[in-house]
Amino acid sequence: MQQKLQTATLDNGITLLGEFLPGVESVSVSFHVPAGGICDSIIGSETGRSCCGLATLTGELMLRGAGSRNSRELVADLDNAGVQWSQAVSMSHGSFAGAMVARQLPEALPLYADILRRPTLADDQFEPAQQVILQNLAGTEDEPAHRTMLALRQAHLPSPWGMPSEGLSADVAALTAADGRGFVDRFIQPEGMIVSVAGRIDWPAFVEQMQQLFGDWRGHTLPAVTTGPRGPRVLHVPYDSQQTHVALAWSVPPYRDPESLKVTAAIAVLGGGSSSRLFTEVREKRGLCYSVSAGYQTHRDLATAIAYSGTTAERAQETLDVMLAEIDRLPGTITADELDRVKARAKSGLVMQQESTAARAGAMARQWYHLGRVRTLAEDLERLDQLTVSEIETWLATNRPADLTVVSLGRDPLEVPDAVSA
Amino acid sequence: MQFRHEQLPNGLDVIAEVSEAAHSASLGFFVKTGARDETDAVSGVSHFLEHMVFKGTDQLSAEEINLRFDAMGASANAFTSEEDTVYYAAVLPEKQHEAVELLAAMMRPALRAEDFDTEKQVILEEIRMYDDQPPFGADDRCRAAYFGQHPLSRSVLGTVESITALPVEAMRDYHQRRYAPGNLVLAASGAVDFSALVASAQRLCGHWEPQPLTDRKAGVPAPLATATVDLITRQQAALEYAVRMSAGPAEDDDERFAAKLVAVVLGDDSGSRLYWDLIDSGLAEHAACHHHDFLDAGVFVTQLSCEADDTTALLERIVGIYTEATSGLDTAEVDQARNKLLSRVVLAGERPRQRLFSVGLEWSHLGRYRSVADDLATLDGLSRDDLHRVLTRWPLTETAATVLAGPLDAAATTG
Repeated sequence: MQQKLQTATLDNGITLLGEFLPGVESVSVSFHVPAGGICDSIIGSETGRSCCGLATLTGELMLRGAGSRNSRELVADLDNAGVQWSQAVSMSHGSFAGAMVARQLPEALPLYADILRRPTLADDQFEPAQQVILQNLAGTEDEPAHRTMLALRQAHLPSPWGMPSEGLSADVAALTAADGRGFVDRFIQPEGMIVSVAGRIDWPAFVEQMQQLFGDWRGHTLPAVTTGPRGPRVLHVPYDSQQTHVALAWSVPPYRDPESLKVTAAIAVLGGGSSSRLFTEVREKRGLCYSVSAGYQTHRDLATAIAYSGTTAERAQETLDVMLAEIDRLPGTITADELDRVKARAKSGLVMQQESTAARAGAMARQWYHLGRVRTLAEDLERLDQLTVSEIETWLATNRPADLTVVSLGRDPLEVPDAVSA
Repeated sequence: MQFRHEQLPNGLDVIAEVSEAAHSASLGFFVKTGARDETDAVSGVSHFLEHMVFKGTDQLSAEEINLRFDAMGASANAFTSEEDTVYYAAVLPEKQHEAVELLAAMMRPALRAEDFDTEKQVILEEIRMYDDQPPFGADDRCRAAYFGQHPLSRSVLGTVESITALPVEAMRDYHQRRYAPGNLVLAASGAVDFSALVASAQRLCGHWEPQPLTDRKAGVPAPLATATVDLITRQQAALEYAVRMSAGPAEDDDERFAAKLVAVVLGDDSGSRLYWDLIDSGLAEHAACHHHDFLDAGVFVTQLSCEADDTTALLERIVGIYTEATSGLDTAEVDQARNKLLSRVVLAGERPRQRLFSVGLEWSHLGRYRSVADDLATLDGLSRDDLHRVLTRWPLTETAATVLAGPLDAAATTG
């Protein structure tokens, strides 16, 4: 199948990405503005005032009225156009997305242009928006697994990359309507913005409409982010719960590094899928837990391998010990069968992504952000096909998982061997 | 999309919604069994059995099952609810036969005592995991309060006590009775080769012995005599979580479609009456209303999470919103909710995995097929009067069961 990938760049720096997917009636569009949680730290370092959560609060504010529409009219117009809309803020980006029947796209794009370029940011919307974010933060207090991962990132990554993009309650409570307007003026702008569209697209018409809606918007280059120190290597968060949550992290190359495919394959052998080492040894053979897995999280310049399990307090130490032993045993022991299974799972995932316009639009934007290009399905499949056990082992031999960060959340702290925390 | 159906002589239904355009095939066994089919002595056995099905057969070890699913690149999993146990795999079309072969073998598990003992620990971990996270068991407790003596009152997970006490023999007996071919549906969606699917089913499942089947329906549950409010106190919780149930149409009642639209108008995650009043204003963390239908009952479920001290006032506020709705809905809000649902149906229709559950459960429960076009036509045909009729027959303001879980204790709610 010949894949139809399209790219275009507007004069103001907006990158447009498109892919026609045969066999679907829908189209998904996603707008990624480089206005994520990292911008909170840019403001913080300039003003000396911590404002963790401002990007997230601004994302919420932007949907509360845009152009000539008030908050309700905006949502009514999106819903009536059949747009399944969503908004999210990560460390790197603020994202606004929509999935719809393809013929609705021309009606939806002007709504997104208003949200991005002409958000009302009415004073009377600030306090309720702030309350929404504070409520959300209170809700995450009750999710032990989520809290564990936040603590792990904060401990392992150099500041500000480990900060929670969702915000810190004390910071959010101190923000003002002027902060929101200031954030929009400075960070919601076209430079570095990526807009991807996938599904039943009419590419020339899309580019033309985007040019009309966004072509005269002017932006500016943002300052670079300076990184600071990281947190402790071993951290216990006391929490009154039946289960103890254990999470481990170690540093690995980011997605754009040519080595990253070897890394992600090795992590998948360790903890992806139900035949992975961790699932087999921790859950299947010993029945120590319900959930255990390992995964890969990447920013543009730094990435982390993460292993996680949640288990009863009394069995948490054994769970941690088995997880550490499996991580230590990985180099030099990967089999061809294991790699074949990793490839099969990855291949299915790539092909099935073609059935979801939203998944595909998101994946294209991510690849562009990390690589400056989008790979075709055929390219991605070929890279997988060519990967060998010996390549992975050669890399692992000189890059053994080391300097692990160990975080636990629960009643009692765990014993972490010195070798890990050294 | 084309619908196909065949029944094997032993009663096993094989169905598929075939889509030429799909890149993948989704396949699953839908077993007509769940918490409602249990007794006190085996509470949680359906869900525990779902785990044991992955522990192997006389020929296959648990490890081999996991290896084979991963080797075919399958996205495989299972779930158990009050009424269903479903095992499924999404695969590339060339792996259809391999996936069916493995799923079919798993339907006849070995249920080895040593695996049973190990897996019991995993189930206990799962129970503790859910007990540690919102809504801290409020959903189970609310269903128990609402349904009373009706079988839908049963917990899917069971309790630490019921699982600890469960003997392997009881599970073997349950499996023997509930996994008979007439009680299973093999369903598929996407890029499916239906003739090959039927041939696989005949070869792999044709020898399964039929068993006498009993009617699972227990009748419409008795209405609640009085409103109930239960408390689960969790001192460490940051928020209070409330679950409220009142009557709604069952799944064999055509009013269920209007009931779902009512729930979107009143309590969808965004753009609904609850959303504008409670979420947009920042009064609550979450407030939503859904309609759930079962074989012989239906409920409107309201969920709320908010600061503990605000809970009672906000629940009253929600009932106020429901009261206001009984005096009539606006055409504009009904159309907006309808447009939102139409779009959801179309987009879900493009994903074989999502279609598998719609098609499989509809057939499993009602013995009929509904296409995406059927769903769209039904939605298009609903009028404001249809919604008003639902609100009159099943007023959300009527006697409800409510459970609160969080920092509130008895003194706080009576004070």
